[in-house]
Amino acid sequence: MTDVSIVGVGVSRFGRQPALTGRQLAVQAVLTALADAGIGWPDVQAAYGGSDASGLADTLVSDLGLTGIPFTNVKNGCATGGSALIAGYHAIRSGAADVVLVVGFDKHPRGAFDLMPADWGLPDGVGSAGLMVTTQFFATKIRRYMHDHGITPGTLALVAEKAYHNGSINPNAWRRQALTAAEVLASGMVNDPLTRFMFCSPGEGGAAVVLAPSDQAGRFASRPVGIRGAVSRTRPFGSFEVFSPWLPPGELSSVSALAARGAFEMAGIGPEEVDVAQLQDTDSGAEIMHLSECGFCADGEQEKWLRERATHIDGQLPVNTDGGCIANGEPIGASGLRQIHEVVTQLRGRAGARQVPGGPKVGFTHVYGAPGVSACTVLAV
Amino acid sequence: VPAIEPVTVAGEGKIWSYTVQRFAPKSPPYEAPAGGFQPFVVVYVETGDGIRIEGIVDGADPDQVRIGQVVRLTSAADVPRYRIADVSTGGAS
Repeated sequence: MTDVSIVGVGVSRFGRQPALTGRQLAVQAVLTALADAGIGWPDVQAAYGGSDASGLADTLVSDLGLTGIPFTNVKNGCATGGSALIAGYHAIRSGAADVVLVVGFDKHPRGAFDLMPADWGLPDGVGSAGLMVTTQFFATKIRRYMHDHGITPGTLALVAEKAYHNGSINPNAWRRQALTAAEVLASGMVNDPLTRFMFCSPGEGGAAVVLAPSDQAGRFASRPVGIRGAVSRTRPFGSFEVFSPWLPPGELSSVSALAARGAFEMAGIGPEEVDVAQLQDTDSGAEIMHLSECGFCADGEQEKWLRERATHIDGQLPVNTDGGCIANGEPIGASGLRQIHEVVTQLRGRAGARQVPGGPKVGFTHVYGAPGVSACTVLAV
Repeated sequence: VPAIEPVTVAGEGKIWSYTVQRFAPKSPPYEAPAGGFQPFVVVYVETGDGIRIEGIVDGADPDQVRIGQVVRLTSAADVPRYRIADVSTGGAS
C-alpha cells in the first residue's frame, strides 16, 4: 500500500468575521492549501470535507470549479476534519486518487451550542430540565478527575494561561491577548470548576489539507510531512461522554485512548517520541485529561507538568502551540484540520514566533467530540 | 459485548461528581421555572451497585455541594431529581 504525505496546508483566519460566510472561509483555506502545494483546483482528483453548521462541503465546487471530481461530505461532530482526513488518506492508500483535498469549516452563532434532545436519542425532559448543555459534561468529568488524581484549579488556569500566551504570538488566532492564571481564575464560573476563560467558544474558521502519495511528494512546492498513523474511533462501553444519562459500574473507558493507541500502533511510534502535540482543548480540563488518555503522562502527573511548564512551546512536550481551541475558538468542522496545519507548520520549521525549538520531527493531533468520537494522527518528517 | 437491559436502581446514592449550571441554557429546549432561571446543581449520583445516574439536585446551595454527599431521589418526571439527604455528609467521599 502507498504511503501518504501532506503536501499542502491552509487556514482562513479564525474568530468572528461577520462579512464572510462559512463557505467563504472554506474557499480561502482551500486556495491557500493549493497554493502551498503549488497546484490548482483542476489538479485535485478527489475531495472530502464537512462542516457541522455551515452547509455541505461538496457545494464548494461552485466556487472552486466544476471539474467533475468525487467530493464526499463528512459530518462527524468535532471529528469531522479528522474523519475527512482519514477518508482522503485511504483514497490515496488504495490508489483511487493521487491528489486529494480535505477541507473543514464552520461558523457558529455566539454562546453555547443549542442542541435538541430528540436529535441525540434522548427524552424531551432532558432538554426542558436544562441538561442539553455540553459544558456540563466537561465540568463534571474534570471535577471527578481532580478529585481522583489531585489536580487543582490553579492547574486548570495554567492551561488557559498557556493557550492565551500561544494565541498572542499566533497572528491567525482569535484570542490574541495574553491572560494570567489569576485573570483566568477570576473570570467567573460558567460550570464549576471551569471559569469563562477556561472554555473555548464556538467560533469561525476554515482549514484545508492536500494529500499525495509519499513517492510523488517531491513534485509539490512545499516540504511534505508523512502521515504515519491516522485512526478514528467511536465510544466503547463504559466511556463518559457528552449527554450520558448514566454510566455503568467500574473504571471508565475512553474513546480518545482507543484512537490514540491505534494511531501510535499504526505509526510504530510511541507517545514518548512526540515533539509537538495538538490535543482537543474544549476547556482547560479537557486538555489535562487528554494528556493522559492519549498516553503522554500518567493520571495526576499533569499537576507537576503544568507547574514545570512542560507543555509550553519550549517545554518537554509542547501542546496546542497555536493556542488550541481556547485561543482559536471552536468551528467544529475546522478544528481537526487546524491542528494538522499547526503540526505541519511546526515540523517544517515555519511557525515563526511560536516555533518549537530543536527541529521537531514527530507530531500528534487529537480531536474529541460528542457523543463519543475521536480521531488521532501521527505525523513525521 | 455487554448486553443492555433495563435494571432498577436505588433512589439513594452518593454524589460522584457535580457542576453548577451558572448560565441559563438556551431555550428551546430549556424551559425556565416560573420564577425564572436560577443556577442549579447537575450531578452524577453513584448508587450502591456502582451505576452512576445523571440528574439535578433541587433545593441545595450550589456552593455547599460536595462529592460524597448522600442524596435521595424525589422525582423522575423529567430527569432524575434529588435532594441532599444529610447535610452532615458534606466533604466525605
